Amino acid sequence: MKICLMGLGSVGQGVARVFQMKRDEIKQEYGLDLDLVAALDRSGAAINPEGLDLKLLLETKKLTGKVSKYPEYGEEGVSGLEVLDRVEYDCLIEVTPTNIEDGEPALSHILKAMGDGKDVVTSNKGPLALKFSELARTARDNGVKFKYEASVGGAMPIINFAHETLSGCKIESIYGILNGTTNYILSRMAKEGSSYEQTLNEAQEMGIAETDPTQDVEGEDAACKVVILANSILKMDVTYADVEVKGISQITPESISLAKKEGYLIKLIGEVSPDSLEVSPRLVKEGSPFAVEGTLNVATLKTDLADEVTVVGKGAGSIETASAILSDVISIWKTK
Amino acid sequence: MRLKLVLELLDVPGQLLDALNPIGRLGANIVAVIHQRDVKTERGTVPVQITIEGDKDTLNEVLNLLEETGIEIIEVDGILRKEKITTILVGNIVDQDLKDTVNLLNKIEGVMVADLDLKMSEHPEKSASRIVIEAQQGRKKEVLTKIKDIGNLKGFLVINEV
Repeated sequence: MKICLMGLGSVGQGVARVFQMKRDEIKQEYGLDLDLVAALDRSGAAINPEGLDLKLLLETKKLTGKVSKYPEYGEEGVSGLEVLDRVEYDCLIEVTPTNIEDGEPALSHILKAMGDGKDVVTSNKGPLALKFSELARTARDNGVKFKYEASVGGAMPIINFAHETLSGCKIESIYGILNGTTNYILSRMAKEGSSYEQTLNEAQEMGIAETDPTQDVEGEDAACKVVILANSILKMDVTYADVEVKGISQITPESISLAKKEGYLIKLIGEVSPDSLEVSPRLVKEGSPFAVEGTLNVATLKTDLADEVTVVGKGAGSIETASAILSDVISIWKTK
Repeated sequence: MRLKLVLELLDVPGQLLDALNPIGRLGANIVAVIHQRDVKTERGTVPVQITIEGDKDTLNEVLNLLEETGIEIIEVDGILRKEKITTILVGNIVDQDLKDTVNLLNKIEGVMVADLDLKMSEHPEKSASRIVIEAQQGRKKEVLTKIKDIGNLKGFLVINEV
């Protein structure tokens, strides 16, 4: 399988690393040859129809920060759409940074690949949160596979889990902690009694929160995931603007200690149900499935037959997220 | 007719007698009393099952009198009567007239503020209040939405239960 990897940030590098680690195993187990024929970042691309050397790719990126410096096959300034036109590939892995204004450049990449009859795997929430129905329709019209397990909950299985493992059930609602950064901050505040600002600084120093933490702490990231779950699992037709969003920046140590007194914790919860799409700080019982700490994600799916099913897993991390992408690639391969 | 009640009593001597006395006085028959002191609610009170018999008016009088004397009726014929809803508000609670906030909540039909805890912050706009509301069974969703509206009106962050 010839693969084009768009984006070589934390997730993209994780994908390259996971391919490197698992290549032989996957070949043996599934007869699948993972051939990375192109990799792109802001600087340009590395393209080799015979397959790129993953070790060299990762080293080049680490040393120079630019994939275009890849020996011999590196090209500066070449655009994503151009590469998709020039390169022969079977599957696009789109992992450029999430943009929730217009979903670009990922949206154009994905639509182009689908239009050209290529399968697409992505972790990119922007296009999914803004144009879900268009993407699903384009994939269907072109007869290609479109998988996005990594876009929600990182390594926590939820989308394929609902579609496949719970395929006989109707999913009525989903409640979950869908953002690891805010869960880390709220867990630390509850434990240490520290202020929001202080804890955010600590999380930034540890690399858990980004320098501009807005997407996480204002609930935007979780809201994107709510949209994805609503569309893909509850079969609703909604977009980012339909979600009521409140973040955690107003949470105070006082409110956390009041909650604790009554046996509650405060968590940023995403709610997906036919009559409510919401991201907001909520009270959850200590000892309940939602009382997870650190950067963990959790989701409870309410179903008609199986009652409640809860999944927990690492919501972020380079290798963890790449694991979900790899699963999607393998599952596409299995249908061939 | 018969009614099966579950009352919630404090675990102190004389409580059961205080609850049973008015029943007999009003002319209702006590058919059964199940009182297990070792089974307790999370608040440490003892649930007591009582089956009483009488005509409809008498039984209603009994329910009213029990409530008036401050005895908590948790269940009538297997149906929970009230549920507790906890919510936390963050914002300038005092400046935004706490009494008015409570009044607005109490005005919601079938709702009563049962407990209120206030925690002041150095920055008044970051004060927090935990409010426990008792609402008629089955109205939780509606009550939560109304609480959110009141929060929006007064500029509070509302942290509701899941």
